[in-house]
Amino acid sequence: MTMKNVKNVYPPKFPEKKFGRVHYRQVDHEVKNIFEIGGVTILPSSEAWQKFAWTKKFFGEKPKEGYFIWVKNQLDFPLTACITIASPKISQDLRNLLVIEKNIKARANVICDAKEKFLCGKHLARGKLILKEGVFLEYNHIHKWGEKDNVQPDYEFTLEKGARLIYNYRNLFPPENLEFKTTIHSGENTSSNLNLIIMGGRAAKASRVAGAPVLGRVASKTKVKDTVFLEGKNSQTVVRLRLVGRKKSQIEAISQIFATSAGKGHLDCQGLLVDKTAKISLIPQLVCQNKKAQITHEASIGKISEEELTYLRMRGLTEKEAIDLIVSGFLKKV
Amino acid sequence: MIYLQDKLMEKILLKIKKLRAKADEKEILKGVSFQIKRGEIQALLGPNASGKSTFAQVIIGNPKYKITGGGIFFEGKEITKFSLERRVKLGMALAWQSPPKIKGVKLSQILERISQREIEIEEAESLLEKEVNLHFSGGEKKISELLQVISLDPKLVIFDEIDSGLDIKRLEKVAKMVKKELVDKGISILLITHLGQILQFLKPNLTNVMLDGKIICKGRDFRKILRIIRKYDYEKCKKCLSTEVS
Repeated sequence: MTMKNVKNVYPPKFPEKKFGRVHYRQVDHEVKNIFEIGGVTILPSSEAWQKFAWTKKFFGEKPKEGYFIWVKNQLDFPLTACITIASPKISQDLRNLLVIEKNIKARANVICDAKEKFLCGKHLARGKLILKEGVFLEYNHIHKWGEKDNVQPDYEFTLEKGARLIYNYRNLFPPENLEFKTTIHSGENTSSNLNLIIMGGRAAKASRVAGAPVLGRVASKTKVKDTVFLEGKNSQTVVRLRLVGRKKSQIEAISQIFATSAGKGHLDCQGLLVDKTAKISLIPQLVCQNKKAQITHEASIGKISEEELTYLRMRGLTEKEAIDLIVSGFLKKV
Repeated sequence: MIYLQDKLMEKILLKIKKLRAKADEKEILKGVSFQIKRGEIQALLGPNASGKSTFAQVIIGNPKYKITGGGIFFEGKEITKFSLERRVKLGMALAWQSPPKIKGVKLSQILERISQREIEIEEAESLLEKEVNLHFSGGEKKISELLQVISLDPKLVIFDEIDSGLDIKRLEKVAKMVKKELVDKGISILLITHLGQILQFLKPNLTNVMLDGKIICKGRDFRKILRIIRKYDYEKCKKCLSTEVS
């Protein structure tokens, strides 16, 4: 056979570019644009609170900022929302609500990022996602933060009867502090797949500029808590959590399944230590309150193999390229 | 840095002088001297644990091993302290005996990073989209290693036990590939082998025997050496071939 090698395209470009049209865009505290489409209501959360009384039970208190997306008809393209910090010391306090009506199949891309590395911003996002009966949702949640940001996403998914969820979360550019919390309430005959990829710390040879974290201190602290409640009969979940501890990172993760009904669940949690200054703590937890439920877990943390590194270096890769390739392989398993 | 001035050295690609090396405080190479010319094929025979694989890894610069004495010269230039990346850039390549599994990384991904070259090798297509060494059979590992070292566009290739675990048919195929892609292009080859099966297909110009971290004899007739080893085992080499050093 003839094999033609193609040009090296690693590392991949930030995926925002491939998502196309943005339906809700917020920069700092300002809603920059809302792209109206038939069958979907998109509003700033504060307006939705005024306009639709039923949203009050989901928001809890009057929201200051954030998006409200109500999908009422089937769409043949993904919905995209971008929330950005572009100015220094911005403190966002978002309340987001996504409601999808019965039997709709939808895809949503939500990108939250900081435009620059050292804006020292705060991104607090509390979101509720309601998947009504028979809904299928693929929710791609991508974070890209600066090195001094403080980020606290707290998302709660409610899966009504027969709903299916694929939740992909990727954070390859970690902030200084990340507190990631996700809760899934699974009704009867629902299924959820959570694929969570969380990188901690900095790349081995990250360039340093003024204001960058000083050597000797922790570059990033990450706390992860994902909880799935199997509340309905025949509800199923698979959680795949991948944690990568790079230079000067501390990651603490708790991954839980609570089974109160006859559901099935599996936790697959793996950590990879890339640097000797990294620390990962990982706790998988299973709580079973129904004798017909089947819940299992597997968890491991390993360091990057010296033999694999040497092997790839012998193929002409630099040490950094070899680490990147091994990490990408580790994450590809999700 | 020492540059070797001798004009004869132009023909010599790799020269190793009294090389000593250890791993985990245990001395493995105990003064190895060796040289290989451009376009030459040499074999290195030896029993298990004689230091053959360590010799290969030390030549290419695996940081696991520490050189405690002697020197390595490539194209007349001392490279004893060069990093492994620099040695690879100079044109040295090693095909591993037991390459590590790399989860989630396809062979094609490694090849893409090595070069833009077009290579024609049968049987390789099915391997490209597989994870490197993960579900490869013994023969597939050898093909994958061969493909990678060819892509590196090397001047010297060391094959560490390329013939182990291959049946005679596959061995012949691998030897044909080595001949077509490397030997015919004037690339120097060092064949490290325990049982010497590959030698009948690649016919080395010189065969070395290593015992206990030293090359204890060399000879031009690989068939004679193999016959003696098979008949009397390696210990006999010391006595019967030491006078034949050319």
